[in-house]
Amino acid sequence: MTDGERSRADAMRGGSPRAHPRAVSEPGVGMRIAGDSHIGKVRTTNEDALIVEPRLGLFAVLDGMGGANAGDVASQLARDTIRDFVLHRRVTLAPRELIETAIAAGSAAVHGEAQRHRDHHGMGTTVVACLVIDPQRVVIAHVGDSRAYLLRDGRLQVLTRDHTIVSELVDRGLLTAEEGERHPYKNVLSRNLGAKPETRVDCLEVALRPGDRLLLCSDGLYGYASGEAIQYLLGSGDAPEHVARDLIDLALRGGGGDNVTALVIEAPPASPSSTQVVRTTGAMAWWQKRQRFLQVAADRGLTRNPIVRGLPPSEALDVVALSLCQAIYHDLEKSTGVNVWTFAQNLAAGWFERGGEWAAVRGIVDILCTSARVVVDDIRGVDARLGFLLDVAVSRALIVAELALGGLLAERLRQVDAEVVELHNATHDTIEQTTDEPIEAPEPAGERFADRETLQFLRPERSPPRLGESPDVAAAIDKVFTLTRARVSPRARLLGEVLIALENAVADRAGNFATAVLSARELYGARTVDNAGVMPVFDALDQARILVASSVQQLRAPAAVRVQALRALSTAHQRLVGATTGLVLEAVHPFTERLREVQVVTGELRDAVAKAERRRADLEHKFATIVDENLPWGARGTTEW
Amino acid sequence: MPTVPTLARSYEALRPRVLDRLLELRGTLDPSLGRLDDATARAQIGAVLDHLGNFIATGDLGMHRAFLHTFLAMRAAEAQSPASVLAMLVAIGDTAAQVAQETGGEPDGRDGRDVRDGRDGRDGRELALLLTRVTASTARVVNDLIAEELARRGAQREELARRAREGAR
Repeated sequence: MTDGERSRADAMRGGSPRAHPRAVSEPGVGMRIAGDSHIGKVRTTNEDALIVEPRLGLFAVLDGMGGANAGDVASQLARDTIRDFVLHRRVTLAPRELIETAIAAGSAAVHGEAQRHRDHHGMGTTVVACLVIDPQRVVIAHVGDSRAYLLRDGRLQVLTRDHTIVSELVDRGLLTAEEGERHPYKNVLSRNLGAKPETRVDCLEVALRPGDRLLLCSDGLYGYASGEAIQYLLGSGDAPEHVARDLIDLALRGGGGDNVTALVIEAPPASPSSTQVVRTTGAMAWWQKRQRFLQVAADRGLTRNPIVRGLPPSEALDVVALSLCQAIYHDLEKSTGVNVWTFAQNLAAGWFERGGEWAAVRGIVDILCTSARVVVDDIRGVDARLGFLLDVAVSRALIVAELALGGLLAERLRQVDAEVVELHNATHDTIEQTTDEPIEAPEPAGERFADRETLQFLRPERSPPRLGESPDVAAAIDKVFTLTRARVSPRARLLGEVLIALENAVADRAGNFATAVLSARELYGARTVDNAGVMPVFDALDQARILVASSVQQLRAPAAVRVQALRALSTAHQRLVGATTGLVLEAVHPFTERLREVQVVTGELRDAVAKAERRRADLEHKFATIVDENLPWGARGTTEW
Repeated sequence: MPTVPTLARSYEALRPRVLDRLLELRGTLDPSLGRLDDATARAQIGAVLDHLGNFIATGDLGMHRAFLHTFLAMRAAEAQSPASVLAMLVAIGDTAAQVAQETGGEPDGRDGRDVRDGRDGRDGRELALLLTRVTASTARVVNDLIAEELARRGAQREELARRAREGAR
C-alpha cells in the first residue's frame, strides 16, 4: 500500500479520530514530509484527503464539500485523479503545466461524477498541492480556501489567496478585511473542483532555502488556530511528524469544528559548514587525543624547559601542555582564539616578569606546536577531511598564541625604550653638570684663527737635535732664530709655533720630508680647515720666512756661513710649506672629490642644456613663421606649434 | 598531494583576488593603510604578497626573515608599533588563506560543486593550509625579531645605567 493509499484509507475510514502521522524520508530529494488528518470534534465524517507521494514529489491537501457523504467522495476522487495524472504524465509535461492540468483533470472528474449521480450533485473539493521540482524549487497550486504557508527564518507567510466570494470582494475594495472576517458568507467559495468541468488554478513557483518549511492545510486548521500559534509550532524545530500532530491538536483545542488536515514539508537542511564541523566533531576529536598530546610534549622535553623548572614533570605537563590542549579545545568549540590568547599571555607574562628570556618561551611554544602537529596528523590519518579542517583551525589557534606573545614583547620593548631615553637624558645632564670645560669650546665670535689655542704636540722649549751641520752654520742658525724671536711679539703665538716648526725642519739636515710633515702636523695641530680657514697658517709661514731672512742679513758672520744658513733655512721653509700644503690638500680631499663629481655633473648638465638649446633652436627654426620683413617688428608673424 | 611549485603557481593565480580583497579590507587591517590612497596601498600590500609568493616558491627562511626585518624597520620609521605590524601581517596571511579556501570550495561541497575529487578544490585547500603555516612562521619570525631588538635595547639600557652610576660617583 502506498502512502497515498494509506492516506486515502485513513480519510475514508473517517471513524478513526487520528490517523497516525506518516514521516516520509525521500533520500533522493532529502526532504522530510509528514501529514496528519483528524475528523475534528463536530463532524461525523472526515471529508479531507491527503496526497503524500515522495516518489512523485507530489503532496496535497483536499477539503471536500457537499452533503450526504458527497464531500469525502469529491476529495478522494480528486485526489486519485490528480495523483494518477501526475504519475502518468510527469515525463511529458513541465512541472507547472503538469500540476495545473492534473488539478483541472481532478475537477473534471468530480464534476462528471456529480453529473452522473444525483446524490452527489453539488459536491466539490478544494485542493492545495505542492509539486517538488528539486530540493530547492517547488510549484504550489491551489483552488479554494485550503492554504499553503511558508516558514522562513522564523517568519510565517501565506503563499495562497483564498478563493472565496468575500475574499474577492475584499480584493476589489468592496469590503474591508475586518468586514470580511465578520461576513456571513466568508466561507462560500468562488472556485472549487467539481462545480464546473473546468476551473482556474493559481500556480506559484517557490524557491526554497535550506531549512524552509511549507505547510499545506485545510481551513479546519487555520480557522481554529491563530497564525502566531501556527508560526510558533512550525518554527519549533521539532520533527515534521511531531509538528503535524501538534498542529492538529492546536486546532482541536481551538474548537475542532471542522475536519483538520496538515501536511508539513521541510526543505533539506544546509550541510554543516566547516566551522560547524570544527566546533563539534573537530573539537571532540581533538580532546580525545589529549593524552597523545601530553605524551608527545613530554617526549620532546617540555618538562625540562626553564619555565617549568622546579615543578614535578606531571604537574608541568598539567600546567602547560594540558592547559594549552584545553584552551585549543575551547577555542575550536567556539571558533575564537580567546582561550589560547589568555594561555599564552599567562605563560609568558609571568616568565618575563621574573626576567626570563624569550628563548625559553620560544622553546616551550615550539614543543607545544610539534605536539599539536602530531595530534592533527593522527586525526588526518583517520579522517582526511576532518584532519584538514583541524589542521587549519589549530594552526590559526597557535597563530593567536604568537600574536599574544608578540603583544607582550612589543610592550616590553616600549617600556625598555622609554627607560633608555630616560637614562640617556639623565647621563647627558650629568656630563654637562660635572665637566668644567667642554671638550670642544665654541669659537668666540670675531676671534682670529691665529690667536686660538691649539693642542701642543711639541713643547716650545724642547731643543731640536741638529745633525750634519758645521758648528758655525749651526751656531748661525741658532742666532737667526734668537734674533727672529726677539722681533716677534709674544702674543703672535702662531708665528712662534711656525718658528718652532721651522727650527725642527732645519734641524734635519738629511732633508727627510717626513720630518717636515711631522713639523707641519704639529703646527697644524687640532685646527681644521672648516673653522677659520688655513690662510693664517700660510701668512705666518710667509712672515716667518721674511723675518728669518732679515735676521740672516743681520748676522755678524762670514758671508759663506750666512749663505749656508740661509740656504738651510730656506730649504727647511720650503719643505715645511710643502708639508703644510699637503696636509691642507689631505683635509680638503673629500671636498675635492665631491667637487670633481659636481664638476662632472655640471659639465653633463651644461652639455644637456646646450643640446636642449640647439634642439629648441632647431624646432623654432622648423616651426617658426616666415617673417614678413615688410611688417613692423612686433607683428612680423606668429609661431604655430 | 599538490607539490610546492604547483601551490606557488596557484598562489600566483590567486594573488590579484587576494590583493583586491585586502584593499577592500585595508581600513580594518591597519589604520595607516586605510588612510593611504589606492595606488600606494596597492603597492605596500602588493610588496608583502609578492614576498609571500617568493617564500612559498623557495621556502627560504633567511630571505623571509630579511624581508620581515626590513618591513618592521620601515613600519617603525612610520611610528608603527611592532605589535600592530605583526597583527597586520597575520591579517594579510589570514585573508590570503581565506580566499584560497573559498576558491577551493568547502571540503563538503557546500558551494554546489563536488570538490572532493577536483584538482582545483584540493589545490585551494592545500594552499589555504600552506598559507596558514606561512602566516604562523611569519608571526614567529616577527616575534624573534622583536625579542632580538628587546635584548639589544636591554643591553643598551644596562650600559647607560652603568654610565649614570659612574657619573654620579
